[in-house]
Amino acid sequence: MNEKHPLSSLLAVFGRRNRLRLSLFPLVLVASFFPSHSAFGLSPIGAEDPGNDTYHSTASEVRLVFFATDEHNHNVQDIQKDDFAVVDDENVIREFRSFTPSASIKLDVIVLIDSSDSILPHFQQEITNVAQLISQSSWSPEDNVSAMSFAGLQAHLICSRNCRSSFTVDQVVPGGAATPLLDAVETATTLLSQRRQPDVWPVIILFSDGDDTISKASFKDVQERILATGAQIYAVDVRNSGRSRTQNATLQSLAADSGGRCVWLSEGANEIFSKVIDDLHSARVVTYALPQSNSAFHSIRILPTHNLNLQFRCRRGYYHPVAGLHQEDNP
Amino acid sequence: MKRAFTAIFLLCICSGLASAQIGMYQHGSVIRMHMADCGVTRHSFITNFGSPATPNVEEYCPEYTLLSDNVVYLIVGKSSSQLIPLAQSIDFRLQKSELAVRVDDAKRESKFTIKEMMVRSEWERIQRHMEDRMKSSEEQTALKSRD
Repeated sequence: MNEKHPLSSLLAVFGRRNRLRLSLFPLVLVASFFPSHSAFGLSPIGAEDPGNDTYHSTASEVRLVFFATDEHNHNVQDIQKDDFAVVDDENVIREFRSFTPSASIKLDVIVLIDSSDSILPHFQQEITNVAQLISQSSWSPEDNVSAMSFAGLQAHLICSRNCRSSFTVDQVVPGGAATPLLDAVETATTLLSQRRQPDVWPVIILFSDGDDTISKASFKDVQERILATGAQIYAVDVRNSGRSRTQNATLQSLAADSGGRCVWLSEGANEIFSKVIDDLHSARVVTYALPQSNSAFHSIRILPTHNLNLQFRCRRGYYHPVAGLHQEDNP
Repeated sequence: MKRAFTAIFLLCICSGLASAQIGMYQHGSVIRMHMADCGVTRHSFITNFGSPATPNVEEYCPEYTLLSDNVVYLIVGKSSSQLIPLAQSIDFRLQKSELAVRVDDAKRESKFTIKEMMVRSEWERIQRHMEDRMKSSEEQTALKSRD
């Protein structure tokens, strides 16, 4: 009588998909010996022995900022640790290392201002709203607020970190036929990535009509960069909401993938401020041990444990480099 | 008086039925979830006899690995929005070829198609085997990197 190998039994039961996974085992194992990266919401903890031999130990944890809303899309404040579970690359995670409100986190915000010709009819309204947003007193004293404008071929830094005291409306000059929207988002993301610090939350507030006419960066490149940085994007659609009932798809996608939101400029400064800043302050931060995965990209979803009316919003996923995997393994 | 007796009798029957139903539930925990092709759950009639002009809209349904005391189930939802509350322990029962999950807060059941089933002891044996393989490969890789 032939005795079946346990592995063949597994393959029979779980099919082709897992067969592929088993073939990727060696890659995962190789990856486990490489240090993990600190960026993208992953916090490394290293240990080194001062003796002759040096031992390296690396443990990573995932840090996830999320928002909870009810069935009417209103923020829910009294969320508890056992009200939700994280699905990280298919693994259901209920054990969390920490769970805190985001109020304790400092913000590193870049306000990106579209000043190209295409938004000229709305420019005054746009810049007034930007000025109101930046000068609002609800920022925490430790929050950094920077501003960049983009038109023509590139983005220009108007003020860095100290915009709350130094930004003035006349610093942004409208004009420039082309709109390098994606390049500008990429530049802002790179800047946030370069000055990334633990416990500082990178945020981009993007004022634009969503039409890109000249960027060198592709949408996919920018999407990956945003996910890699862990930056959250709040997009303000500057077009007249009466003319077009649907928000620009590019803006919507950039915001949704990063866990942010898309709002209309015509809603007014107070409403925008309420939706963006109050949203930031109502966020929760959860950390958990990095689960094993064959893929460099971990998709994330947060789901309720009891009340199915609760809805959770967070970034679409994050990257954790796995040595030996090809680009095709990424989305 | 006769009406009162009838009411008490009906009440007893109803509560008996309810407790019997509660007793039918098994407990389990969802350990994995991903979005899979809904095709598995679609009725074959639609696939075979549906209009050829109907466009193929790709829809993804939630697929769960549910761990109970003795059996591991792979179940698939019937639509993309059919979700199971991911509590540590959920109540479910088998109903014909489907698995009905009790959704606590909604006071209702949600029915899922059973895609695969496996005895838990066998599933655990396979998991251990996979972990052992992983550990031995890790050790080999570590040795190679030291060389």
